[in-house]
Amino acid sequence: MKVLVTGAGGFLGRAVVAAVARAGHQVVAMVRPVSAGRGALPPGVVELSGDLRQRGPWSGAIGDVDAVVHCAAAFGDLPSQLAGTVLATENLLAALPLALRRIVHVSSLSVYDFDAPKLSGALDEATPLETAPLRRDAYTQTKLIQERLVRDYAAAKGTDLVVVRPGAIYGPGKDWDAGTGLKAGRFDLVFAPLARMRLIHVDNCAEAIVAALAAPLDGPLTVNLIDPEQPSHWRYHALAKRAGVPTGLAVPVPYIFVLALGGAARMASKLFFRGRARLPELLDPPRQRVRWRPLNYPNIRARSALGWTPRVGLQEGVSTLALPDRR
Amino acid sequence: MSDNKLNVAIVGCGAIAYEHLPFVATTPLARLAAVCDTSPALAAAAGERFGAGVIHTDVAAMLADTKPDIVHVLTPPHTHDAIVRQSLAAGAHVLCEKPMTGTERETADLLAAADGAGRRLVESRNLLFNDSILTLRRMIAEGKFGRVTECDVLLSLDFLAGPFGDRNLMGTVDLPGGAIHDFMPHLVYVFQMLTGASDACEVRGFLQNRTDNPRAGFDHLDTLIDDGVVRGRLRVATDAYPEAFRVVLRGTEGTAEIDLYNPYLRYDAAPNVGKRAPFGQVANGRKLARAGWVNLRNKIMQHGTMHGLPRMIEAIYRAILDGTPMPITPAEMLATARLCDRLVALGAPR
Repeated sequence: MKVLVTGAGGFLGRAVVAAVARAGHQVVAMVRPVSAGRGALPPGVVELSGDLRQRGPWSGAIGDVDAVVHCAAAFGDLPSQLAGTVLATENLLAALPLALRRIVHVSSLSVYDFDAPKLSGALDEATPLETAPLRRDAYTQTKLIQERLVRDYAAAKGTDLVVVRPGAIYGPGKDWDAGTGLKAGRFDLVFAPLARMRLIHVDNCAEAIVAALAAPLDGPLTVNLIDPEQPSHWRYHALAKRAGVPTGLAVPVPYIFVLALGGAARMASKLFFRGRARLPELLDPPRQRVRWRPLNYPNIRARSALGWTPRVGLQEGVSTLALPDRR
Repeated sequence: MSDNKLNVAIVGCGAIAYEHLPFVATTPLARLAAVCDTSPALAAAAGERFGAGVIHTDVAAMLADTKPDIVHVLTPPHTHDAIVRQSLAAGAHVLCEKPMTGTERETADLLAAADGAGRRLVESRNLLFNDSILTLRRMIAEGKFGRVTECDVLLSLDFLAGPFGDRNLMGTVDLPGGAIHDFMPHLVYVFQMLTGASDACEVRGFLQNRTDNPRAGFDHLDTLIDDGVVRGRLRVATDAYPEAFRVVLRGTEGTAEIDLYNPYLRYDAAPNVGKRAPFGQVANGRKLARAGWVNLRNKIMQHGTMHGLPRMIEAIYRAILDGTPMPITPAEMLATARLCDRLVALGAPR
């Protein structure tokens, strides 16, 4: 199969390119012009230089690919994400060949309503999507729009679609601050220390995406990608420290205290700022709950529908955190 | 127009639209009739978020369909001319983001088109409605500066880190003054409004590309302006930290300094000068400390650099509804475009 990978210069994209090539597929790796030509791609991989935010020569150079893995997305403020996630996806879809057989779209767990499951309950593919994205951040807002664009396209064109929603992707160079909520001098404040982290190692994620390219489908498939071992924030901090990640002295801040802080901030906003204050994630109750609410994250559907078995265990994965980024 | 409310259409659903739309969607003076963008996804995102009546991807179809009373043209500058003309021809007033055009000639042509259509055309100059600029204008009127003699404006902003300098994007910034031109009207109209400088001024300085970033075109402006009565220095720099938008106004009786990115106003004048200077310093220190608190409050309340924009839009809507003069006149727009032309000319090969 000939596979186009977008966002191929990114943290996940690089791992996906390597995994798809290892699986024996032909790979067309789309990278931004500034990153192009650095020779960092595996042998045999064709580099396609272009920026999805602008239609350009890249769209005619995609060629007769059979499948696309859409990893490209943006971070930053809302305008950056509207351009780098929404507009970019629209431009990509407009450029895809008619004969395209499958899209594997990399979405995010952030599209879910994290208040929907009961406390300590399961967040899985049956969990409703966020219905009030404006209370969340620009990332959630734009990933929801992006996913809808891809679904509409696949439905209209009759293209096979697998939407994967990975958890927090970690690996060399990406440690999620070792699970720390806030650094205060030499102390690491570990919020909700007993709540589980929804981690997935970058190589496991890439291999699941490879499996999604060939998985048998009865219709559009949505799978959450999370590793089976879901450590608490506290344990992850300890493991990261042991692996050599620079950390401070861990101080636990129970989830109830986190919520109390958020409640106090919200009350202060109502009392002193007519409820118009824009609170940081740390103090904003809806976003606090997304990040620290105790939940668990089954990956049953990913295993059964994709035939995916995570290869990299937690201990091994964390041991790679302090390694240099593969870039 | 119905219920004495303006039907408003937004053309261009990028970053600046998210500054206009919160006001348009909530003001009792208007109804958000339509949003329009060539990207269906961006149009839909803005339209759904702010409750637009209809969502369009084609300007002509939108104008025919919704017959707006006023169109906000918020697209990239090189597209303004055609959209402004289409909107005027459809009978709509137009509020256009700056820079409305690349030259004074083009501005004059569009104003003539508006005149011919019997509609109002206004170029955005939101900074004139910011708290600190309004305060300076009040102080000038109260004679706190005596006769204004000098005005320096410095914009220190790493805009090359954004789309203006993003080498991943094809093409260059499509304005005669490159990326600098996108900010130039702000500096010029602030200078002109505070000093009343005439057109008969001498202009010296540099418009340069100091980073060799081909997309930006120009990334550095440093210029002296002198009309014989008032003088000033306008600067745009991408390599000075921290970010600042500083205005220093001096007159025969006093001096004030403000920063549009941080809400402080430092004012030096009699009696706290000379032997009483220490008292003046204490007073200014107190003002700075207070500005720290105000700055924090503004950050929390999202009262940012764009906070004058809703005031400007409201003033424009009221002028249309009441049939009174616009808060920004064609003569002011032409004067700004004229001085911008002269600054752009500094970048011509010598």
